[in-house]
Amino acid sequence: MEILQYTVRKLISGIPLVLGVTLISFLLMVYFGPDKTYELLGKNPTAQEIAEVRTQLGYDQPFLVRYVDYLRELVTLEFGNSDSTGEDVASLLARTIPISLALTGPGFVLGNLLGVLLALFAAFYRSTWVDKAIMASAVVGMSISFLIVIIAFQIIFASSYGLGWFPVRGWSVHSFGDYLSYVAVPTMAMVFVALGYNTRFYRSVLVEEMTRDHVRTARAFGVPPAKLFYKNILKNSMIPIITRVVFSIPLVIISGSLLIESYFGIPGVGKITYDAIISGDQPVLKAVVGLTAILFVLAQLLTDILYRAVDPRISLK
Amino acid sequence: MSAVAIPAVRRESLWSKAAWKLARDRTGMIALAFVLLYMLVAVGVTAGWWAADWSEVRGGKWEAMSAAHWFGTNLIGQDIFARAVYSTKTAFEVGLVVAVLATVIGAALGAVAGFFNGSWIDEVLLWLMGVLDSIPFYLFVAAIVFAMQDNPYAMHIAMISTFWTSVGRLIRGEVIKLRGLEYVEAAHAISVPEFVIIIRHILPNTTHILLVQATIMFVSAIKSEVILSFLGLGVKDGMSWGLMIAESSQEVMAGFFNNFLAASVLMFGLVMAFNMFSDALQDALDPRKVG
Amino acid sequence: MQADTQPLLSVRDLVIEFTTENGVVRAADGISFDVHENETLGIVGESGCGKTVTGLSILGLIPSPPGRVAGGSIRFMGRELVGLPDSEMRNIRGRDISMIFQEPMTALNPVFTVGNQMTDVLRRHRGLTRRQARDAAIEMLAKVGIPVPAKRIDEYPHQLSGGMRQRVMIAMALSCDPKLLIADEPTTALDVTTQAQVLEQIAGLQSEFKMAVVLITHDLGIVAETCRRAIVMYCGRIVENAAIERLFEAPRHPYAKGLLESIPRLRRERLDELPIIPGRVPNLLHLPPGCRFAARCPRADALCREQSPALVPAGPHGDFIACHHPHPGQQAEPAA
Repeated sequence: MEILQYTVRKLISGIPLVLGVTLISFLLMVYFGPDKTYELLGKNPTAQEIAEVRTQLGYDQPFLVRYVDYLRELVTLEFGNSDSTGEDVASLLARTIPISLALTGPGFVLGNLLGVLLALFAAFYRSTWVDKAIMASAVVGMSISFLIVIIAFQIIFASSYGLGWFPVRGWSVHSFGDYLSYVAVPTMAMVFVALGYNTRFYRSVLVEEMTRDHVRTARAFGVPPAKLFYKNILKNSMIPIITRVVFSIPLVIISGSLLIESYFGIPGVGKITYDAIISGDQPVLKAVVGLTAILFVLAQLLTDILYRAVDPRISLK
Repeated sequence: MSAVAIPAVRRESLWSKAAWKLARDRTGMIALAFVLLYMLVAVGVTAGWWAADWSEVRGGKWEAMSAAHWFGTNLIGQDIFARAVYSTKTAFEVGLVVAVLATVIGAALGAVAGFFNGSWIDEVLLWLMGVLDSIPFYLFVAAIVFAMQDNPYAMHIAMISTFWTSVGRLIRGEVIKLRGLEYVEAAHAISVPEFVIIIRHILPNTTHILLVQATIMFVSAIKSEVILSFLGLGVKDGMSWGLMIAESSQEVMAGFFNNFLAASVLMFGLVMAFNMFSDALQDALDPRKVG
Repeated sequence: MQADTQPLLSVRDLVIEFTTENGVVRAADGISFDVHENETLGIVGESGCGKTVTGLSILGLIPSPPGRVAGGSIRFMGRELVGLPDSEMRNIRGRDISMIFQEPMTALNPVFTVGNQMTDVLRRHRGLTRRQARDAAIEMLAKVGIPVPAKRIDEYPHQLSGGMRQRVMIAMALSCDPKLLIADEPTTALDVTTQAQVLEQIAGLQSEFKMAVVLITHDLGIVAETCRRAIVMYCGRIVENAAIERLFEAPRHPYAKGLLESIPRLRRERLDELPIIPGRVPNLLHLPPGCRFAARCPRADALCREQSPALVPAGPHGDFIACHHPHPGQQAEPAA
């Protein structure tokens, strides 16, 4: 009951964020976005034809009316049809989002798990060569552009100039085996790119926690170092870890998959978003932006509930 | 009176200590030397000392490395080395413009938010930061690029308007911390105007944070430029490593790697050197750090 | 009387160094003292004098890097602790030697219950089952005067008051029946009433558990009330080691004398102004070649500024002093 009340309160307090995100995006993408009037008209249109198309597109309405219309679409999840393909936007998203999740999920999970693992190693062997080697590799990893990693991995693992183990591009998944072969190279690229940043972040969190008084107390009572890490330090470090993981979810789904999907030609939500940007497909853009904002509010709610699970000092107030 | 003078002394010793520490950090100094070398290359391009002929067609398609073309030529016969060198200037230009402006805006708005902590001004600024952080970066850039039509600075503006939030949050937190300190309260007590307190007494004590943040944003800007240019949202006139890599993404499947390697290696060198310099700077400026 | 029994803890010529960005600092330099069974030894000094690192070094808890034990020996029950592998040291920590810390707010882990943290120690050192450990923990909590221990055991540290938390720390420290308790400013963070209660608690439990206590504090009043013998430290060195009544009635080292004179409540006559020790504690990085107290000492001469005095026996009762020109001390020894 308490949780439910809290959830409702939290969702309501997320409304300003959703309004802000949608307002700015609407302003930029729709109001100042590309004018599609002439794309829908034949050659030498008459003034009346122009006016008709503009009415159809809603261009003749004042800004506020158009924005409120957008919010209504967001609430009812009815975004209309894609300008480019004519497909219903809701079904377009229902088709593409699962692909993006399947594509980015393994890389995201592995990138964070390995990051925590490496960070534990580095923090455990702090100031020794193990730590220095891990942290130096992290800086190298951070210095290589995602784009370069994608291209290099494609050459190395998928092309005929390299190992040629995996399909070069595309996404024709009919079995779990197909899935593994298509997801392999994108996953490796994602892990490679995220690992440096994650390891550094998690290590600094762990090291900060290591210097706390209660860790010294635990040591003074004979807790062995390994247990110190997996019991005391890890649980105390969960808040920044949860924050980082949960808040990167919305961005990974959209931004993370945008580059991978457009490079590998995978029909996920990133790809359709990218195409929508290029073609000015407003119904799709409106849907994606609105849903991302809602995802952020949900992420906030999720972190708050998880915080309470790991830290008894935090109450749902 | 002496209470107001204390932070100045502390600041001075922080900087001289940091400089001394940085000078002894061998990795940091090597990294700095590399950054300066790149900077010299960029200055040379701007001054027209070299790589001025980057857009001229001077050879055949996909020529191999030779004395005339150190990295070979691209699809239409332009010299890859000249293009990669010219791109250094683009990288510095993007990095500097974005880092400097985002730092300034972040510092200003963060300081205002922190100073008016608890009032509606703070609320609005926090909301704005939250909103900007919640719009997917590439979508946001794309939107700005399209909204601004063919403005060559659309990409810069997009990056600045999203990057400043991290600086803003840090400075806001720092200002809230500093506001409670004695010397600021002392300045309040002798009724120094608030904006004077911010500019004279609070912001100078956050410069070490700003410096580090600027180096981090410089690197982010260069890395983002590459991806944005690849997506067709970045550099429009001129040449950049991102455009070279975009060009090469077709070539590599045909087995021609020069374009890709030239841009990647040069970019990696600069980003790596800058990252290491940034780390050294952070170590030197962190007063808590021991040995 | 003390000379013929083997001391429980024997520290000799202990040197603790810290590497800082400006060079190596000796936080403790040539520390020697003994602690006998059932004895309470006070270590007093201003903050930064090296008393806390000395306490930490006994349990091998000097944060390393940047710190390390650079020399000397720490023998506990005849066993050398310096250089003992961490795996063996862990069996001593919390079982034979326990330590309690200054900050009860932060010394306990905020995300685990009191019971979780206590039973951890009991299960590790006494090999108890979960059930037995819980019962033992409740019993210990009752002993340190925590009301309704069966309920408190499932609470988190933030739900307890400062005094209560320090009691939990004491309960945890004594739960495995240690022979030596190191208490580092155990009451500094507490209010005065709670301070007295907690000190009384420690004293009461000391006789019940028959353990020795090393009490580290800057508060001479606490030392006077609880210790039989005290060490005065200054700038990383021991300046005087004396039985408590001799130290308070006739301190011989000028620093110890100055320290005692600066406590208002111990003085009988009224003074217009509280005496203070002039000057400042020297920087550990730039120590003078001679006695570290010379610059502030009213009795210092050329010898003091050139040559550092050694810690030498003084009198027939196991006292030590490091001073070229000590105060004469008592003429007639009290019949102890």
